[in-house]
Amino acid sequence: MTAPDEIAIKKLTLKLKAYVLEKFKEANIDYCLTCGMCASGCPATGLEGLDPRKFLRLLALGQDDELLSTNWIYACTICGRCKHACPMGIDVGRIVYLLRGLRPLEDRPKSLQKSCELQKTSCSTGISNEDFVWVVNDVLEETCQNEPDWAELKAPIDKKGAEYYLNQNAKEPTVEPEEMVPLWKILHTVGIDWTYSSKWWDGANYCMFTGDAKDWEYTLRKQVETIEELCCRYYINTE
Amino acid sequence: MNNPKGSVLVIGGGISGIQTALDMADSGLYVHLVESSAAIGGSMGQLDKTFPTNDCSACILSPKLVECGRHLNINLLTLSELVSLDGAAGNFKAVVRQKPRYVDPAKCIACGKCAEKCPKSVPNEYNLGIGKRKAIYLKFPQAVPLKYAIDAKNCIWLNKPGRCGACAKECPAGAINFDEKPVEHVLEVGAVVMAPGFKPYDPSLLDFTGYGRVPNVVTSMEFERLLSPSGPCLGHVERASDKKTPRRIAWLQCVGSRDKNRACHAYCSSVCCMYAIKQAVIAKEHMAGELSAKIFFMDMRTHGKGFEAYFERAKADGIGFERARVHSIIPAPHGKGETGDVLLRFANENGEMCEEVFDMAVLSIGLELDSSTVALASKLGIDLNGDGFLKTQSFMPVLTQRQGVFVCGAASEPKDIPQSVTEASAAAAEVEKLLASARWKETKVKEYPSERDLKGEPPRIGVFVCHCGINIASVVNVKAVTEYAKTLPHVVFSQNNLFTCSQDTIVSMTDIIKREGLNRVVVASCSPRTHEPLFQETLREAGLNRFLFEMANIRDQDSWVHQSEPEKATQKAKELVKMAVAKVASHQPLSEGKLPVTKGCLVIGGGVSGMQAALNLAEQGFAVTLIEKGEALGGQALKLVRNWEGLAVAPVLSELAQQTISHPNITVRFKTQVKDVEGSVGRFKTTLSDGSVVEHGAAIIAVGAEPWVPQGRWQYGYGVDARVKTLHGLDEILKKSQTEALEALSDVNQAVFMHCVGSRIPERPYCSRVCCSHAIEQAIALKDLKPKMDVFMLYRDVRTYGRREHIYEEARSKGVIFVRYDLERLPKLEGVGARLELEAFDPVLGRQIRLSPDLLVLATAITPRKDAGELSKFFKCAINADGFLMEAHAKLRPVDFATEGVFLAGLCHYPKPIEESIVQASAAAARAAMVLAKDFVPTEAIVAEVTPAKCVTCGVCGKICPYKAISKSQVTGKAEVNPALCKGCGACVAGCRSDAIRLKNFANKELIAAISAGGC
Repeated sequence: MTAPDEIAIKKLTLKLKAYVLEKFKEANIDYCLTCGMCASGCPATGLEGLDPRKFLRLLALGQDDELLSTNWIYACTICGRCKHACPMGIDVGRIVYLLRGLRPLEDRPKSLQKSCELQKTSCSTGISNEDFVWVVNDVLEETCQNEPDWAELKAPIDKKGAEYYLNQNAKEPTVEPEEMVPLWKILHTVGIDWTYSSKWWDGANYCMFTGDAKDWEYTLRKQVETIEELCCRYYINTE
Repeated sequence: MNNPKGSVLVIGGGISGIQTALDMADSGLYVHLVESSAAIGGSMGQLDKTFPTNDCSACILSPKLVECGRHLNINLLTLSELVSLDGAAGNFKAVVRQKPRYVDPAKCIACGKCAEKCPKSVPNEYNLGIGKRKAIYLKFPQAVPLKYAIDAKNCIWLNKPGRCGACAKECPAGAINFDEKPVEHVLEVGAVVMAPGFKPYDPSLLDFTGYGRVPNVVTSMEFERLLSPSGPCLGHVERASDKKTPRRIAWLQCVGSRDKNRACHAYCSSVCCMYAIKQAVIAKEHMAGELSAKIFFMDMRTHGKGFEAYFERAKADGIGFERARVHSIIPAPHGKGETGDVLLRFANENGEMCEEVFDMAVLSIGLELDSSTVALASKLGIDLNGDGFLKTQSFMPVLTQRQGVFVCGAASEPKDIPQSVTEASAAAAEVEKLLASARWKETKVKEYPSERDLKGEPPRIGVFVCHCGINIASVVNVKAVTEYAKTLPHVVFSQNNLFTCSQDTIVSMTDIIKREGLNRVVVASCSPRTHEPLFQETLREAGLNRFLFEMANIRDQDSWVHQSEPEKATQKAKELVKMAVAKVASHQPLSEGKLPVTKGCLVIGGGVSGMQAALNLAEQGFAVTLIEKGEALGGQALKLVRNWEGLAVAPVLSELAQQTISHPNITVRFKTQVKDVEGSVGRFKTTLSDGSVVEHGAAIIAVGAEPWVPQGRWQYGYGVDARVKTLHGLDEILKKSQTEALEALSDVNQAVFMHCVGSRIPERPYCSRVCCSHAIEQAIALKDLKPKMDVFMLYRDVRTYGRREHIYEEARSKGVIFVRYDLERLPKLEGVGARLELEAFDPVLGRQIRLSPDLLVLATAITPRKDAGELSKFFKCAINADGFLMEAHAKLRPVDFATEGVFLAGLCHYPKPIEESIVQASAAAARAAMVLAKDFVPTEAIVAEVTPAKCVTCGVCGKICPYKAISKSQVTGKAEVNPALCKGCGACVAGCRSDAIRLKNFANKELIAAISAGGC
């Protein structure tokens, strides 16, 4: 929808603001000084005609329809720079997250929602767990053969009792498998005992980015369960 | 309280401590002034110029430093700290520990040879670490006491005895004493005044500013030193990285203020908006206009007297103002700027991302309390408030929780110099009230040497020419003027000084006068307005009559106005000196009489200010006549419900009124006004409207002000539609019981406040100071009464200065929505009498907002009373362009009038909230007490004199005389001047058609001599 030229306020109806405050008690929306420090540091300022200050303003003025339809909530990367800069410490990113969750499935950015759906089955790019295991072993083998210095390199999978558990962004095994190697080399050089898992190995947070708490929790829980099964002491999150 | 002590301990030697010490010492109390550093002067001494007068800060402070330094009743304890305080109000025992200076002040002649030889250089903290000083140092050129001190931490000898000792070898006076030990002073005092000041915020805690990492990012305090003629670059601003003169400078406001996320300071520091504008204006002046200056701000807070006009002038002069809080400062990348430049990233008010490159960025840092003050507070049993400042009483911000311990200045809340000085006088008034019975019991009396008889002596004139740092010397060739002076008739001595007003020069001037047998003195320097009394005092100390003095104004009227023409300026300085020499040659010693003081005060106005002033003086034991035009006491405060902190006004007001009415020393007269005033300081005779005459030694004008009635384009249906009210109109509802108030507001679902109605507009260009806080306090009250009510604030800049920022935050937290408007886009009201619709533009979204208020509250201007102007004429006081009464000096004499013995307080001075009126009223009482505490006032020496033989008894002079000092002599029948009444204005001299009247030392002889000397 296009932004209206005029906002008429006979009586403020602040349903969305109330929703946000219910879910996020310390949202402090009303504390905004409209100083614009958030917008000054925001990578999404100006995109979709909005910025964090305008976003909060719409919320305070009860412009719920506009907020529920703007794609600015997807331009925002929830990086948290606004919260860092804000003299009042307002966390716009978390509010954006809540609004993303309210967007009907069919209105969400298709690729984002699809990534989440795929992650709920295996990983966000859709490659199978078997493919992941094969790719890791294949790249490892190739490296060990081609690079004599790294003949001893390892990329363990499902190594029970390893000290460190490592997850993996699905993009690398899917399209740029050799990009996984540098991290393996670092871990090898440091000499730590680590492992991947053959399921729920995707460290991406697409289900967080869609704003669906349930989906996010589901994928996260699956990862946690896997780590517990493997009895790893530390969790290295690459995302 | 039995037999209170007549001494007072003042902690802190900044402007607040100095002012409170001087006020008390001049009113009969003995003062111990404790300062932790090696010299008094505090932060004010470090500033370059001061707003809004653009006075040179050190120049207007210096006379006070010197006065403090040589005051017989001020015991200056530098390098000292309070160890403990026992006892109770009236009888405290204070232990003060004084660290060794390692330089004997009695011997040190401040020649500077020690520092010249000292091999150890350390960062100069007076210049905020820019540049170096030695381990033996003088804090600043005009330091009082003007004595060197050794910094024990850095001195080589003190750390490794036997290793250096260069200073001791070099010192011609043998003043160095490495064996000096700390001393503990046990002082018995009746009261304590804390004036410890503030600490500038350290911005290195804020990563985004780049401070400490990005070159050429400086703090505002550092910039003051860069601007200052006595600073590290002698006033020629240069940036640290490459010594280049910056041509583009940015100021960032609210660094360390109004930021509770990273800076942990939610309050506003009150002074930064004005000092940033001042710095931009002065920097532009220094660079002959070749400066592009921009101030990045959130709300421009120019709420003080004369501030808004200063802001407008800065805009007209091309200073840029950008409504944005800058996100980050980084070194300008290649292609965007040169090495050393800084790049600022910010979103403008429209939300567009911007980058701008500057040569330098100045961080307008806020004020906070130093940790040493926190420790001091806990020693004294004084709590801190929520912002970490000293906690004081809401309606009387100089009172603490401990009786007998008072606070003044920035230590209780960030505040500017005029407000600090006012509080300093108010604290003095409270102390004097407490210790009135001990007045003059512990003070010493000044003995001057008897005046030298000059009979038969030809004039022997000494000329002292001042550099005033670079204020004069950067334009005028001071040495040439000094040499020229030697060639003038009767001049037997001439020398030039860096700062003629500094204590060492003053002392050496006394010696020179004696040694050279001078009998007349000319000082060529700044202005007699600020410095004449200081130099005249020096003459007295040297045994000369103080009228054998003349000043040549080669700064204010020469170097400052002819900056671009140094040669002509030097020529003018020579001529001014020549004129002064010619005039002083004919000066004769004049004798000053003294008259008994009428120990009573007339207070005009029965509002909060009038009552507070009257009560304070009455408690000090002086008789007070309080006259009130109306039929009740209370004034404008009767309309108020709460102060900004939410405390009820009515109980405070009724107690004040009750005490005023019942006090035995106060006579209250209702429905009474002033009809005529005769006399002068110490001896006024005022005729009241009922024909009676009151005799009084001092007068305090506290006639208040009134709310403006909305009209013209600012009417907004006021007076036509009952839903449109002023703040006072809404106060009437908020005064009711909760049930009644809710009933009155039952139809109100949306309330809109319109700020700045009648203020900050071309026809009334000042800010009314109180309306933002008042409106916000009301908005909170509405939200508390009816949380579901929509409340909107249409504002121009939210000016909740200082700790008031908390109520702005509280209002927002309760859902009050603030929408900024511009004069160019004034909100429009439609539907008066029907459905009200108010259309405003929201700059955040860039869209129109259409509101439907059921209640529209207009925050109207506070306007001066018309009769204040009439009254001011009786007392020969001035009013400013806005119609408010004009104090003697906006910065350092905020409650005095230029007319001696007359003082002012409250709204007639400028709009202000109730607690500031109370403080100002106490301050006025303290200043009045300085007159009333003394038994005599000196009469004017420069008076008119009639030559009876020439008088034709036409009577013109008697009609002209504004002081009613001329009458017909019973003996000769000719005109006769009563020297006790004459103020030496000279009106009669000009009016006399037969040349029968002359003004002593300003007669034709002297003036013609001066005029003929000019134009050489």
